[in-house]
Formats: sequence, structure tokens, C-alpha cells
Amino acid sequence: MPVEIVKDKWPGSVRQVTLGATAAEGGTRSHTVTVGGEASLPFMHFEAPMPNRPRVAIEIKDRRPDDWSPLLLEVWGAAADNPAEWAKAAEQAGADLIVLALSLTKADGSPTQAADAAASVKAVLGATGLPLIVFGPGQAEADNELLVAVAEAAKGERIALGICEDKNYRTIVATAMANGHLVTARTPMDVNLAKQLNILISDMGLPLDRILMDPTTGALGYGIEYGFSVMERLRLAALQGDNMTQLPMLVTPGFEAWKTKESKVGEGVPADWGNWLQRAINWEVMTAVTLLESGADIVVLRHPESVARVKAVIDGLMQPA
Amino acid sequence: MAHTFTVTFDGFPEPVRVPSGSLLSDAVRLAGIELQQPCGGQGRCGRCAVLVQSGAVRRRSSLRLSAEDVAAGYALACQTVIEGDLQVHVPPQEKIERRLTTDRTAVEVSPPADYDPATVQPLRRYTLTLSPPSMDDQTDDWARLQTALRQQAGLSEVKVSLPVLRRIGQALRDGDWTVTVTLDMKTWDCPGCPAALIDIQPGVIPAGDPLWGVAIDIGTTTVTLWLVDLITGKVQAQASEYNQQINRGEDVISRIIYASKSPENGEEMQRLVLDTIHDVLKRACGRVGIQPEQVMKAVIAGNSTMMHLLLGIPAASIRLSPFVTAVNHVPTLSASEVGLGIHPNATVDCLPGVASYVGADITAGVYASGMETAQGITLFLDVGTNGETVLGTRDWLVTCACSAGPAFEGAGVRYGMRATRGAIEEVWINAETAEPTYRVIGGVKPSGICGSGLISLLAEMFMTGVIDKAGHYNTHLNTPRIREGEHGLEYVVAWADETYCGRDIAITHVDVDNLLRAKAAIYAGFTVMSESVGVPLDAVEQVLIGGSFGKYINVEKAVQIGLLPDMPWERFQFLGNTSVKGAYFALLDQRARQRIHEIAARMTYIELSADNSFYDAFMSAMFLPHTDYRRFPTIAAALEETTKNLSRPGS
Amino acid sequence: MALSGIQIYKLLPQTNCKECGFPTCLAFAMKLAAKQVELASCPYVSEASKAQLAESSAPPIRLVSLKADGREVKAGNEVVLFRHEKTFYNKPGVFVKLADSLSEAELQAALKAVEAFHVNYVGIDLSLDGFAVENVSGDGARFAAAVKTVRAHSKRPLILLAGEAGLAAALPLLAGETPLVGPATDGNWQALAALAKEHKAALLVQGESLDALAELSEKIKGAGLEDLVLQPVAATLAGKLALNTHIRRLALKKNFRPLGFPTLAVAGSAEEAVQAVTKYAGFIILERFAPELAYPLLVLRENIYTDPQKPIQVQPGVYEINNPKPTDPVLVTTNFSITYFSVANEVESSGLPAWLVVVDAEGMSVLTAWAAGKFDAERIAKSFRTFNMADKVSHKRLVLPGHVAVLSGELEAELPDWEIRVGPREAVDLPKFMKQAL
Repeated sequence: MPVEIVKDKWPGSVRQVTLGATAAEGGTRSHTVTVGGEASLPFMHFEAPMPNRPRVAIEIKDRRPDDWSPLLLEVWGAAADNPAEWAKAAEQAGADLIVLALSLTKADGSPTQAADAAASVKAVLGATGLPLIVFGPGQAEADNELLVAVAEAAKGERIALGICEDKNYRTIVATAMANGHLVTARTPMDVNLAKQLNILISDMGLPLDRILMDPTTGALGYGIEYGFSVMERLRLAALQGDNMTQLPMLVTPGFEAWKTKESKVGEGVPADWGNWLQRAINWEVMTAVTLLESGADIVVLRHPESVARVKAVIDGLMQPA
Repeated sequence: MAHTFTVTFDGFPEPVRVPSGSLLSDAVRLAGIELQQPCGGQGRCGRCAVLVQSGAVRRRSSLRLSAEDVAAGYALACQTVIEGDLQVHVPPQEKIERRLTTDRTAVEVSPPADYDPATVQPLRRYTLTLSPPSMDDQTDDWARLQTALRQQAGLSEVKVSLPVLRRIGQALRDGDWTVTVTLDMKTWDCPGCPAALIDIQPGVIPAGDPLWGVAIDIGTTTVTLWLVDLITGKVQAQASEYNQQINRGEDVISRIIYASKSPENGEEMQRLVLDTIHDVLKRACGRVGIQPEQVMKAVIAGNSTMMHLLLGIPAASIRLSPFVTAVNHVPTLSASEVGLGIHPNATVDCLPGVASYVGADITAGVYASGMETAQGITLFLDVGTNGETVLGTRDWLVTCACSAGPAFEGAGVRYGMRATRGAIEEVWINAETAEPTYRVIGGVKPSGICGSGLISLLAEMFMTGVIDKAGHYNTHLNTPRIREGEHGLEYVVAWADETYCGRDIAITHVDVDNLLRAKAAIYAGFTVMSESVGVPLDAVEQVLIGGSFGKYINVEKAVQIGLLPDMPWERFQFLGNTSVKGAYFALLDQRARQRIHEIAARMTYIELSADNSFYDAFMSAMFLPHTDYRRFPTIAAALEETTKNLSRPGS
Repeated sequence: MALSGIQIYKLLPQTNCKECGFPTCLAFAMKLAAKQVELASCPYVSEASKAQLAESSAPPIRLVSLKADGREVKAGNEVVLFRHEKTFYNKPGVFVKLADSLSEAELQAALKAVEAFHVNYVGIDLSLDGFAVENVSGDGARFAAAVKTVRAHSKRPLILLAGEAGLAAALPLLAGETPLVGPATDGNWQALAALAKEHKAALLVQGESLDALAELSEKIKGAGLEDLVLQPVAATLAGKLALNTHIRRLALKKNFRPLGFPTLAVAGSAEEAVQAVTKYAGFIILERFAPELAYPLLVLRENIYTDPQKPIQVQPGVYEINNPKPTDPVLVTTNFSITYFSVANEVESSGLPAWLVVVDAEGMSVLTAWAAGKFDAERIAKSFRTFNMADKVSHKRLVLPGHVAVLSGELEAELPDWEIRVGPREAVDLPKFMKQAL
């Protein structure tokens, strides 16, 4: 019995966003990474080919983090003491992109200075040829101060600067414009807020193909259903032709999963939670896969085993039959 | 162990004694000093600030007071606990300006062209001449009157009340057996009932002499009364006054909470609204030289909360899930039952509501607007605190209410005020310099900004980039008018030396947020409603705007901020106070009264809190003009034009 | 094509008789459009309208229910492709595969591990739904013995993966139950359909392509079976995703009956199980049981099948922001997620440590909850007692949202040892308030 399948026809598509710049383009990256460009819902290859595969980024810090799970610190070992080493290790672990998350303070407790941030970024750029994404510590004043220095230090490298939020985006966008970088725009799990921030940033004159959006997802068990639906709705809106949602989505399942109790805590938890390490990795992988199914273009992960597993999933999802 | 403390008020000779732990506002009340509490004693409005000159107090909250104020001894009476003997100074309250604009410029109303009291007016007057009694005919006065009613007015059955019975004998004899009677022929809730004898007067009242009735709209903020001659159908006087309940809370929720606290509070709320009605009644009657007792009928419209409070019916269930009223269709009552100071036998007809937050003001408004007979789709908006909207045609009507808050009425905004003398009613901002110009009602120095001024200001700030589309101030602009104030970032509209109050008039980021919320709630209300019945907004053929606020809206600016949908301006129409208008039609014409009853019964109320769609629409509308800019094509085009002409850092 | 509220209204009597339990015919029509009531509630609807409305309301995906010992695992009756459009209704049942080639001891150990497994997620007790016994041995008697062992240790519904011989031997052991059996293929469908019919079992239908699946399901329907489950087979994740999407779309958008059945997915890994949960599987067979996989999988299933129309809530409780110490301030707010997030984000990004007490206000914001009587002194005080706040901090001072300053008096009475401080009305002003006033 011949069955005629239902194919959706969409008027819109996601913009392609390229991270990194090679020497020919004024930077020093060994290659660039392009994401986005989807003209159909995730992995519906029979409707439209996906021009770019989703990418896996590994998150590293500018110094050994105080609040990461011991499982992560153990697996990264001594590399976690030095951002350049860590970046190299991440590249070896299979990262397509590096996310460098700056700390608010240095190991001695004093505030991270603009010069420190710039030095960390330069060290990472020197250690790896992968395109780079840099996140500020997440406090408006510190973000603005550090990211301006980072943007200037990495001028021409076409890095992505994060995180723009609705109350703090002007300075970051301005420095991204001045130094030829991209920005990531983060909003708290709401379709409208995501779109609003994209509008505000683009109103400043930054072209839409230099914005990644991070709709915030929550981890498995901690609100992922909202993130999942917000991403599906954003992608549907983009395909329906709403150009303020036609941006690739960067999400941080590593950050989300590794702050859950299930990943952080190994003792004093119910036996039915199972093996700690495998549970923690499952938590990260399953969070990431759920988000890939709803349209993620870049997933930022923390554990190398998760990276390998998620990359295998992406392989499977990119093979139509 | 309970102490008592002595509180002495400056200028009042008698100190009062209160138990420890009492609030300063309790002591103020005990001393007989009237203190305004528009927020209902919630510590939100800051209008009950008093100066504690000596003694120990504990301030639970000092919101709205600056650090200097507190240092000087100021305290919010409603939030301050007495912990010692006190000496207190109560600063003179700014008196609310009594005469409202609606009172000065009476709305032009004319009775329906085909108004025929003989067929549609249930109130009738007959002059009867009775054969006097004699030793041969000792029939009692009432039976004699009934005979005359049967023979001369064709009424075989008439009911009478005790107060009228008490007056019959005297009236018959004073008029030498000729009397004029007033009857209410028919009420909506008992069409088969006999006519009711309302009044009896000795002698002849000429047929053309006025027969008085009143139409009343009890608004949360304003009470409006029209005095009507039922013979000609003409409105002979209009009067408005602030609802005195306002001192017990600005919004219906605060009032319900206040009224529910004790039976005394409930009675107080009833008394306050009756006092207000009597005030406007007296003024209206005074203008045509009659006594309130000469008014033979009242038709009342108002939201469900106002109706409950007027009638002394507990209103607590209105605010609590699942949000039900005690009664939507109130039976006809007599003025003496209600405590309304018109003729004691007069029928008081409270118009029907639909739900807790869609009351008789809306059913009356729908009738007055004519939308219930329109073939095309009409959207009816009541742009007020409760933000009621109605969508429909003559075949179907849906309605919803969204809590918009009082921002567009000037309340809940730092320099907000009502649309009276001294209010900034329109603002323009120079896109290059960010300098404003403004127009003030009465052409005097400004004291504040009214609703239309706020809409205009918000639109201008947005269109000129003073704020971004999310309502955040652009601190990258080079202007002293955007500054960090006591309450965060603000924009100065008028410097102190230009103003009546001698202080800078500014709009703070919190004000902008409140305005955004109000406009988003109203827009989300009607969009969700239109989606839930499956009617797209662009299918709406006319938008009717009611509420006393309606006549001040500048359509262009209201569309710019996304309060009203982006459609050709000729589709918008302002109707003024449709609630009192509906009550007026119901007073004149029993068919109108019947229609309003039917409207109430067939309106479908949509509870917006039932699912997430309202919240989603609200978040979408919390942006200028809207997150989905494709809904506002003309604004998007205008913005493009503006930005093209500007080259400004960070804008 | 689904009808809108207004379109349905035009088919109703329009008398507003209220007998359906709704105040107006339009209110009833809107509930019908939302598929929240049955047309049968209207006593006066005409036959013509009934016929017209019935067409638009028949479920496009058949409900299939596996039963045993009072337990029921349902799949089907789904109405949307995306959960935000309405909700996903029937959580896919998760079954653990057991091979009949295992020894009795191995089988018992595996059974006991799954039977004993249960986890608590936000107050919900989660466990697995049943077992899929596979006739790996190819021997009917051995299969029946395995099923017997399973039944001796578990009362959960079963899936029997076997051919004719295995099923003929095992099905008589499951009298009174509704298991799922199969898979039926082109080669064996007649025999399996007969067995399924005889033993009132649901039948699994397997096909390599949509064409094959549709053809087979039609044949089996022709043999008088209604309760079918489809098992599309593809080599890659993308292939599986495509097939499941096609089946759901055809059922919902084209009302295509041959594929109007729930599907079954066999998951060899956590990754495959995730795709099965998010993209349309009605039943899932796990190749292997491991608690560290079962736990997150069941949680994901709860998450994806949460009704998105309900207000977004966070779990009431005490949230620790920036590692607070007993001396740090105690803030109070409601459990509406947006309210919670705006407060938590402001405090978190300020770097100031605090204890955030999230009160169960039924998912409403501060002002809405206050207006509706869901955020009052009594509820706040109850939260403080339930969460043992007094033991967590060394001071007794709490900060109330400025919007509900009015509650401070009542709260003082409810929590007599606590000092009540009124904070700002907006979350954005919290850090400033905390720095200056606390």
C-alpha cells in the first residue's frame, strides 16, 4: 500500500551563523564553524537537507572551578588548572567549539581583572585552533568590564561573547560590533522574552547573523519540559517566517545537568539512583539529546564521555537512513 | 501584658489612648482625623504619611518614604506600630479637586428619537377623580382608589405598600378627591405582577410636568448620576463625584478585603457609596430645583463588586477561586430597602452582571454601544482598572476581564494624577535632543501627569529612543533628563521651576513598567478572547471604547504603545461613559431593560486565568509596541523612518 | 479539520439552557472545540449537527491498553504533534526486555531488580511498567516457562516477543490479561492475528517501511483485530525519528486510519530512549535495565508529559542562593515560576547569599495570589513551619514582598517570634534593598 507522507512546507529558515575566523579572514583559527541554516524541523531530512550539523562545545574555566562536581574535576585532572591546557584537552576530547567561562574571582578571592580575562582568552586562542565562545561571570558590571577587554584582545577572531540579557546587553553588543564578534543572547525560558532580546540587540545595529540565542532550558527533572517546548516554539516561529526567531540556538545542558543533585551528589542518595558517574553522564547526555530533538544548534557540555556519546547521537541523527 | 500608650496629635487638644501594638492609623481614626488611604492601608501609596515628632514607633515598611523622610520622623500610619507615647503631626491633606471635568462639561445626550413614554415607559402617572364617600357609601379609601384605578386607568389590580397606605387618606382629602398617582407598571423580574403604586399626590399634576428618574453608574473610581425627566426622556442634570470608598482602597480587591474584615467595615463601605450617591443626587436635584424625594425610580449600573457593596451583600467570594458572585441578576428593590434617598417607594433596579469581573457596567455598556445589534464583529473595550472587553456580533458575545491596574487613570504612577487642572495631558519629545514639550489642562503649571499624558509620554519616549522596546531607559543618551533617581532610572518631564509642586516631575522605570503591564493586560485580554473563539483580530470591523477615560485617548499614541490594535483609525469610536448611558436607556424603555437582561444571559464569560494562553499573550504584549511586530505594521514602518533620520550612539 | 468554537456554536441549539453545565451554548462550544467535554452533554443537539460534530471529534490514534492484575498501561489518543499545542496524554509505558535464554536464577535476579526499583521524583513514586519477554531460544516450552517465572514474580503487564509456537504456549498462561504480542510480519501475521484474537491480546505489527506497515495493519484489521501497535524499523536515529513523525502526522493531519495506532520503540541506549519519549513512542522496550538509566528516563517521561497548559510552577520549598549561612537573610515569594525566577536571578546575580522561601501559592504571582487569597499570612507561616526555617537560620527576620505589605500585621500574629520586614515591590530592587536595609 503506497503511503503518501506529509511534508511541511515552510516559508522561513534559520540563519547561518559562522563562528571563528581563519587567517584569511583576519583571525587565527584553524577553521570556522557554521551552524543554523535549517529549513525544516530538526532532522526532517526528507523535507530539506540540514546544511550544518549541530555542534558540541566543551565548557572550560579560566581557573580550577570551586563549585564543579568532583567527577568533572577528576576527569579533567591537572588540565583544569590552566585554561590553555584545558582547551587542548577539550579539543582532544572532540569539541567542535570551546566555551571559556570566566570566573568572578581569582583563586585568591580577589576580583578577576580585565587584564586577567584578556590573558586567559589569549592563552586559549593560542592553545587551540577551534573557534571560541567566552561567557562572563554572569554579573552585569563584571561582565561588561571583562568582556570589553576580551573583545578587544580577540579582535578579528569572530568569537561569541556572552551573555547578553535584557537588562544588560548594550555594552556587550557595542563591543561585539566594534571588534567584529558575535553575541549570545540568553533569556529565561520564554518564547517572547527570547524574541524581545533579539529585537533589542538587532535594534542596536548588530546583524542577525551575528547573534546566537540561548533560551535557557533547565535540566532533565528541573524544568526541561519548558525549555523543550520553548525551543520547539521558537523553531516553528522561525520556519513560519518570523525573522526575529531565525537564529541558531545555543544551549548549556552541561551547566544545567551538572548543577542537579543527581549529578553533584554521590553519597546519601537512594540506591535506586544507581551508579553515580554513569547517572551523572546519563543526566548530561539525556538533557543534551532532548534539546537536540527540539532544535539545539550548539550544545555546551562538560564531561568528555558525554561529548563522545552526544557526538554519536548527532551522527545518527544526521544519517537519514 | 498589655500596655496602653497616649498619642497626642498636633492641633488636636484631646490625646487618645491605644493598646500597645496598635497601628498609628488606628490612633488617627480614634482621634477622628480623616486620613486618606487610597491603597486600603497596604503601605503601597504613601499617602498616609505622618510626622512622628516624639516617641517610639516601629516601621514595618517605609516604602515610598525617602531615607531623609524617615530621618525627619515621617512614618506611614498604616504600617507603623505604636511602641510608646507619641506626639504626632498630621500634615494637611491635599484636597481632591471636587469638580471633575465630566461635571463641568456635561455629555450631550438626547433621548431616542422615537421615545414614547406611553408605550415604553413603565412609570406612569394618572390623575384620578373619585366620588367622595358618604353615609350611603362608606367604602374605604383604598378600595375607592382601586375602583378609580380600574375605571379610569383600566388597572384591575394594583399593589400598595404600607407607607403609601399611610398617605392615601390625607392626599384624597387634601386634593378634594382628585389625586395624581404614580405607578410602576411592570418590572423585569415579574412581568405578570400587578402595577405598584409608588406615590400619591393631592390634586392635578399637569401631564407635561416632569416625572423624575435617575440613572446611576457606580464606578470603582467615579460615581455618575443623570437626572432624567421620564416624560420627555431628557437628561436634565448630570453630576459626578469620586467614590468615597476610594479612601479604603483604589481597586476592587482592596475594597473587597476591607469590606470582608468585619460587618462594620461592610456597612461602612455601603454607607460611603450611598453618601457619594446622595451627594451627586442632591447636586443634580438642586440644579433643577427639586427635592430628591421627588425621584420615583433609579436604575443602577456598576461592576459586580460595587453592586455587592452597595447592597451590603458579602463580596468575598468574588475574589476567591472559583470567582463567583452572590448574585448577578438582582431582583427589583425599593429605595427604602436599599437606603437610597429618593422616594422611599421608588423602584431601584440594579442592572444584571455576567460574572465576578464583568458586571452591569459592561452589560449596560454593550447595550448602549449598539454592538449587540451589529452584523459585523465589534470589539468593545472598557479601558479602566478592570480592563473588561467584549467581542461579538448580534449572534454571539464573549467577554473577559483582565486586571490592568489603575495606571491609565493616573494612579500607581509616581507623578500620576487624574485628568483635572494642572495635569500634563499631552507630551512631545524632540528626537534629537530628547527635550520634551507638554500641554497642561487649564494652561497652568503642571502638578502631575494624567492618563492621556502617560500614554503620550510612553509613546514619545519609545518612538524617540529614550526607552527601548522593553521599556528600559537608554543611559547612553546625552541628556540630563535621564538620571538615576531615588527610585532608580527616571526621565524628567518638567524641572522643578516649571512645576506647581516645585519638584521635578519625572517618570520612573517602575512607572514605565506599570504602564507596560496595564497596556499589555488589556491587549492580551482581547487577543486571547479573539483566539479562543477563533476570530482573527483583523476581522474586527469596529472598536468601541468606553469608560470615562475613553474620551481622552489619543488613538495614534495608543496604537504606538500597543494598547490598541493597529488598524485604520476610522474603526475606533469613543463612546464616553457607556455604563450610565445603558442605565439611562433602561430607565426610559422597558424593552431596553429586557435587552440588557438578555445580553447578560447570553454573554459568554472567558476566565483568563484558566490556562497559560493569557500569560503568554501578556508576555508577548510586554514590549513596545508588541513582540510580534508584524501585528503593528504601521508602527514598524514609522520606527524605521525615525531611526533612518537619527544617528545616535547606542540607540 | 477541527472546528472553532464559533463554528461549533452555530451547530448547537443556541438556547443557553445551561443543562450541559455551562452558562451559555458558546461556552459549551468552546469546551467542545478544546475537546474538554463530550457532545453527549447537550440534550438538545440535532442529529444532523451530531453527525457533523462526531466527524471532527473521533480520536485519530487508537487507544491501546495493556492490562494485568488491575494495572493498565495506555498508549494512543494523542491529538498533537507538539506538546505546547495542548498536551501529550498517555505516557509511554517502559518495559524491560528479558530473554527466555536466561537461566531461571538470572531471570529471577533480573525480575527482582526491576520489581524492587522505585524512585521518588517531586513526590511522585516512579517505577517501570512491565516486562517484554523475548523468545530468544526459539523453543515454545522454554518461552512458556520463562513467562511463568515472570508471572510468579511480577504482576505487571507484559509484552511477549515470540512467534506462533511461543505465543501458543505462553498465551494460555495469561488468561484475563491484555498483553501485547508479536511482532507480526508479512510471513506470520495470519497465525499471530488468530492467536491474539483468541487470547484478547494486542498485536504488534512490524514493517520496514510505511507502505509495508500500512498494508499489514489493513490486512490484520480485515482479520478482525482492532488493538494494534506499530513497530517501525529503521537503522539510524534519524530514520526512526522520520518514521515515527510520519506516522503521527498522517494520523493527525490526514486522519490516515491504517497508521492510526500507537508505536513501539526498542531502545538499546539512553539516547534512543530519549528520542522515543520525546518523539511519539507509545511503548518503549529497554534492552537492559540499569537504575542509573531508568531513573532519568522515567523523570524525562514525567517532564515531557506534564500538561503545559497548567501555570508553570516551581516546587515550593527553601532555595539556597549563593550558599547562604545561618546569618543570611530570609526572603519570601510565591511558586509561580516567573516570579521565582525573577527573584532568584536578581539575588543570584547580585552575589548576595540568601534563603528564598517559596510558598505554595498554586502557581500564581504575588499580587494575583494575594488577590485570590492564595498567598496570605497563614500560608506563609505554614511554609515556614513545614520547611523548618527556624532551624536553618540563626536570626528570625523575614522579608515580605512589598506588594503584600498589608500582610505584615497578620504574619506577625502567625509567626510571633519573627520580625517581619517589608521588602521592595519589584525583584529588580531587591539587591539594593538587601545591601541597604539588611
